[in-house]
Amino acid sequence: MALSSFPAPPTFFSALSSNHHRLPSSVKPQFHPLALPKRNLSLFLARSTDRLAAATTVDETLEKKGDPPPLELEEKKPQQHRHHHQVVLDSDGGSAAEARVVQFKDPRWVGGTWDLKQFSKDGKTDWDAVIHAEARRRKWLEDYPEASSNDEPVLFDTSIIPWWAWIKSFHLPEAEKLNGRAAMIGFFMAYFVDSLTGMGLVDQMGNVFCKTLLFLAVMWVLLIRENKDIEKLKNLFEETTLYDKQWQATWQEDASKDSNK
Amino acid sequence: MASLSTTTSTGTGDSIRSFADLRRQTRLLSSRAASNAQLGRRLPGVVRASRSSPRLNGRKLRVAVVGGGPAGGAAAEALAKGGVETILIERKLDNCKPCGGAIPLCMVDEFGLPLDLIDRRVTKMKMISPSNVAVDIGRTLGPHEYIGMVRREVLDAYLRGRAADAGASVINGLFLRLDQPEGPGGSYKIHYNEYSAGGGGAGERRTEEVDAVVGADGANSRVAKSIGAGEYEYAIAFQERVRIPEAKMEYYKERAEMYVGDDVSPDFYGWVFPKCDHVAVGTGTVTHKTDIKKFQAATRLRAKDKIEGGTIIRVEAHPIPEHPRPRRVLGRVALVGDAAGYVTKCSGEGIYFAAKSGRMCAEAIVEGSENGTRMIDESDIRKYLEKFDKMYWPTYKVLDILQKVFYRSNAAREAFVEMCADDYVQKMTFDSYLYKRVVPGNPLDDLKLAVNTIGSLVRANALGREMDKLTL
Repeated sequence: MALSSFPAPPTFFSALSSNHHRLPSSVKPQFHPLALPKRNLSLFLARSTDRLAAATTVDETLEKKGDPPPLELEEKKPQQHRHHHQVVLDSDGGSAAEARVVQFKDPRWVGGTWDLKQFSKDGKTDWDAVIHAEARRRKWLEDYPEASSNDEPVLFDTSIIPWWAWIKSFHLPEAEKLNGRAAMIGFFMAYFVDSLTGMGLVDQMGNVFCKTLLFLAVMWVLLIRENKDIEKLKNLFEETTLYDKQWQATWQEDASKDSNK
Repeated sequence: MASLSTTTSTGTGDSIRSFADLRRQTRLLSSRAASNAQLGRRLPGVVRASRSSPRLNGRKLRVAVVGGGPAGGAAAEALAKGGVETILIERKLDNCKPCGGAIPLCMVDEFGLPLDLIDRRVTKMKMISPSNVAVDIGRTLGPHEYIGMVRREVLDAYLRGRAADAGASVINGLFLRLDQPEGPGGSYKIHYNEYSAGGGGAGERRTEEVDAVVGADGANSRVAKSIGAGEYEYAIAFQERVRIPEAKMEYYKERAEMYVGDDVSPDFYGWVFPKCDHVAVGTGTVTHKTDIKKFQAATRLRAKDKIEGGTIIRVEAHPIPEHPRPRRVLGRVALVGDAAGYVTKCSGEGIYFAAKSGRMCAEAIVEGSENGTRMIDESDIRKYLEKFDKMYWPTYKVLDILQKVFYRSNAAREAFVEMCADDYVQKMTFDSYLYKRVVPGNPLDDLKLAVNTIGSLVRANALGREMDKLTL
């Protein structure tokens, strides 16, 4: 099919088939003809022919540009859902950066915000899906940044998602994992200390040293979740005091000279 | 929170190590300089007052101000007004400095700037997050409050003119180097190329003997090199001036924009600032200087709709210091402004602090010399350092914390923009910017703000982690 030569944005299709979570960033998005329901196919056909037309006009303008060209930014064609952006030649005559970027598009993203009515599940809003959709949108824009538009401003505010939805999605799984770690460490430490000292669990709880160990174990589990967190914490501490040191530098010298005399 | 620290930790790790190296270097230099210079700048005993400095017989104190930007102009004016014989050396009197050009209200008041110096009054700022969430800030500004946009050549010339009116002699010349004085009360010898009024040619070599030198010659300060002040990290700010059609210029009449995102800059922001009849589109970075053109292209892309059809009329770049130099004073040589490194983090503001530090240094010299009648010594100049550090340290520290917290990652930047939508945040931000005071507000509001900040950061980071799961 001739259509398969055009790259398709994953967001559009993942909205239709929710199992499209993976977007291999190194590979251009592939067109999945089977995933498309019939009625959207015709829409896509219409848009792709527009893009074909757009591609030829852009190539012509490229050739027309002489040297040195003033930097003129392409006129944005209105009413096209799939825009053909082109970053024009640098004024220093460097190689043309042709970024064929496709705009973020999702049927649930209406008027610069998520249409919560489209997220309803059993009569209530499925906040998990809203969170996932927003994460996908941000990921898309991180990989393919877009021009900020005054005509279609982004109005979505994450605070409309209720606090318990965040806790359910993020805090609870993490808490479960950390509690699991702490429990395993606790069990084996209790056994280990018992085998060494003969102190049972109740005796251990009454001992200051054991309580300190317990506290340290809990802090460790909370703060250090991956190996690289140790380095990060060290750097964080140095970072907080670096700026102060830079400002004090001129005074250190003064003090050291005084002490030398 | 472990989840907050990200890629910037490697950048700061390097900076921590290199700063420690710089300190070691300047210590070596200082010991050498001290042995070479034989400066008897400490009297035996604890009291280091200039009262015991000798009176100058029959002449006034002579001070050279190197550099004629806001710092130099302000310093020269304050010195001349205080009765000190001042020479101001500037290499390019019509220099069109590449600069954002934003000045706070307090500068207009404190320096008595005429209002026609200000090309535009920005009363609205738009902050745009990586996912293009746009927030307008400026709702809380009063009718008389604005951020003034000036052309540097106009401002600098005005301040130099005032210095000349007060009695300073303005010399068009390029400072080359200075020689340390021979003995404790000796004078500094400065070498410079004086350019004739015609402008052309390499200029004539001249020397002057002065009692003190104020180094106001900017980020690549030669005076700083002369005293072995040490290096600092600096950002590169890259800017293109774009003339856009009238209809689009209307949008920027009173509005400036700030774009944040990894695409635009990993540790700074991209901006569109309105100037007299065009806009300046630019970005900056400390850690990824070689990618600056890429960041500029990304900034242009993000502002695409609003600057379409524009033509680039000028491309410029300049360094912005990130923190003060390890040494800001040596003997009777002081650094002020960008030469000292007084640029805030987060916003990169430097004009006001340059002018203020120039003035404060000059005032300290005037006071220490009792209006030019006595010789001064290093302790008089250190009084200016003390005053400046004490007055503005909270501002610098708060901006540093903001930069560390909110410029870490795209998630943090999203939280930043979300926070800016809050009225209280806007009021505090503008108060601290326009009047340079960090005023603690109502404690209940502060608590609410803290809770909201943590909430925004937690949400944004949660989304960030979700984003990481989407692609590997």
